[in-house]
Amino acid sequence: MQYIAEGNSVELLRRISGTYEVYAPRKNARGYSLERWNSSAAPITMGGARMSEPLKAFFFQPRQLVAENFSPNIPPLSGKPRCIVGVKACDLAGLEFLDRVFNAPEDRDPFYARVREQTLIIAADCTAALDTCFCLALGIDPFPKKNFDIALSPVNGGYLVETGSEKGRDIVTSHSNLFTEPDEAVLSKREEQRARVKRDAASRIDECGVPSVTSSEQWIARHYESELWKEEAKPCVECGACNTICPTCHCFLLYDQMQGGQLARYRTWDSCLYKDFARVAGGGNPRHVLWMRLRNRFEKKFDYAPKVLGQTGCTGCGRCVAACPGKIDIRNVLKRLATHG
Amino acid sequence: MADNGNPYRPIKTSVLEVIPETPTIKTLRLKPDEPISFVPGQFIELTVPGVGEAPFTPSSHYSVKDELKVSVMRVGKVTEKIHALEPGDTVGLRGPFGSAYPLDTFVGKEILVVGGGCGFAPLRSLMYALFDRSAEFKKLLFRGGCRNPGELLYRGEIAEWGKRSDLDLVLTVDNGDSEWQGPVGVVTTILDNLPMNCREGVAIVCGPPVMMKFATKKLLELGFAEDHIFLSMEKNMSCGLGKCGHCRLGEYYCCKDGPVFPYSSIKGFGNIWE
Ligand code: SF4
Ligand code: SF4
Ligand code: FES
Repeated sequence: MQYIAEGNSVELLRRISGTYEVYAPRKNARGYSLERWNSSAAPITMGGARMSEPLKAFFFQPRQLVAENFSPNIPPLSGKPRCIVGVKACDLAGLEFLDRVFNAPEDRDPFYARVREQTLIIAADCTAALDTCFCLALGIDPFPKKNFDIALSPVNGGYLVETGSEKGRDIVTSHSNLFTEPDEAVLSKREEQRARVKRDAASRIDECGVPSVTSSEQWIARHYESELWKEEAKPCVECGACNTICPTCHCFLLYDQMQGGQLARYRTWDSCLYKDFARVAGGGNPRHVLWMRLRNRFEKKFDYAPKVLGQTGCTGCGRCVAACPGKIDIRNVLKRLATHG
Repeated sequence: MADNGNPYRPIKTSVLEVIPETPTIKTLRLKPDEPISFVPGQFIELTVPGVGEAPFTPSSHYSVKDELKVSVMRVGKVTEKIHALEPGDTVGLRGPFGSAYPLDTFVGKEILVVGGGCGFAPLRSLMYALFDRSAEFKKLLFRGGCRNPGELLYRGEIAEWGKRSDLDLVLTVDNGDSEWQGPVGVVTTILDNLPMNCREGVAIVCGPPVMMKFATKKLLELGFAEDHIFLSMEKNMSCGLGKCGHCRLGEYYCCKDGPVFPYSSIKGFGNIWE
């Protein structure tokens, strides 16, 4: 572990921005958002909690050209690779989930893989929990443990620095003059701070009674025919906001159009709450009623994903709670799944 | 998956021939610029440039690599455009995707193939494979049904199958006409008194969902083992890569883990017949 003082951390980012396009969190009225960073910009907010938007759009674009005419070539990437700063533990878990879908060694999606490979992830500890945070219920602590290149813990006006990849280690080694050895006091300060944030996150969970989701495998089967789906789905207006904002939702639609007389195929984000999501050409629709589609969302995340992908499809980020115009609260649904019937 | 670097790009393909089969089904004979080899059970995605893609199971012989046939029923936007194609037009193909019928496990067994309506198309390539190896199976039965004689797919060819000594063939229609001499009734009505030992046999079912549902129920009553009934599941396949999420069936993605499943492995999931 290393220590970097605040001023040196800005210098580090300045140097990194020679190679990378740097995105860093900034506090605004809605919370924290990623913005393009340059050394003359206002200071970044390294701590805080997760950003308003998940990271997925960086790796899996909302709308992407995936094939042109009949060419096997993959349209080239333009611009510098990106460095994303201040990524929190829940979003690192979201990235891990997308990796399982799009970047499994034997089955990589070339569009995802190449961006993922060249992106630099600088993670950070949460220094506070939001009202909607329930990461702990998913077994995720509010500080980075894996899936990062470099992780920063804000302590005493600077940062404790950990590396999690070859890429991260190379950066720290090649700018070693910016780092110092941390002393005991800084280390124990970090532990104190982490424990405090964890207590904070735990109290949010207690307030709304979210159960631990780490053993959710029987929940869906047990409640498959339950009335709870009909009740919960009532306020849903099928807007798809919960899918769009979710760091693990990865479903997409391929659609074709003619562009300059040539075939252009786009991949766009899709939503499993939309009526035609599972409809077949012959007209059959296994989820023709809305509550079946809401159930499907939970089945995919809390049953299919842990069984098949080895990771639950929810990170406890709470974004869908805030995004849903029908005020459907995933924490509440989980509570019902754990206790009801 | 065709390993062409980009899993989303279709291979440029020429339409060689358009064969009208029934009032709603046409067969296309296609020649892709790069050979595509499939085994019975797998499907391909057919692109009409600028319109979109749709999944089909080839109906031609699996050993022919440079050409393939697909039979397409007109049911929606993409199939409408497919029906309007003419020889010389350009389309695209992606695939093949999915798993094969486990033919090796059928060796030494009595095999019953049950087809309904448009389900005949994917079954034709399976039948070719079964005919090629018919000496390895104890017995081969085909039971098929469709709404009326006019909708019977590959009528001339199937009439020829009726003459084969290695196949026991019975066809039925829901509504006969003045020329129809075979049985009348839905396909389940010709599944009684099969000349085979159902308890030891293998059954393959392909057709519209309702037909599959009732045929499966009937086969279970006849004593077929749940893991010896193979179903070709029609789900909303799109990417073929197990990533777009559209074709999930319980713990499986139809496009990767299927589309052929033994009944035993999917019976526990909700709404499998819709
Ligand atoms: S389901 Fe909701 S809480 Fe869970 S990861 Fe997705 S947006 Fe976050
Ligand atoms: S955000 Fe709420 S209203 Fe919109 S689709 Fe999701 S559950 Fe339905
Ligand atoms: S067709 Fe996309 S996941 Fe199966």
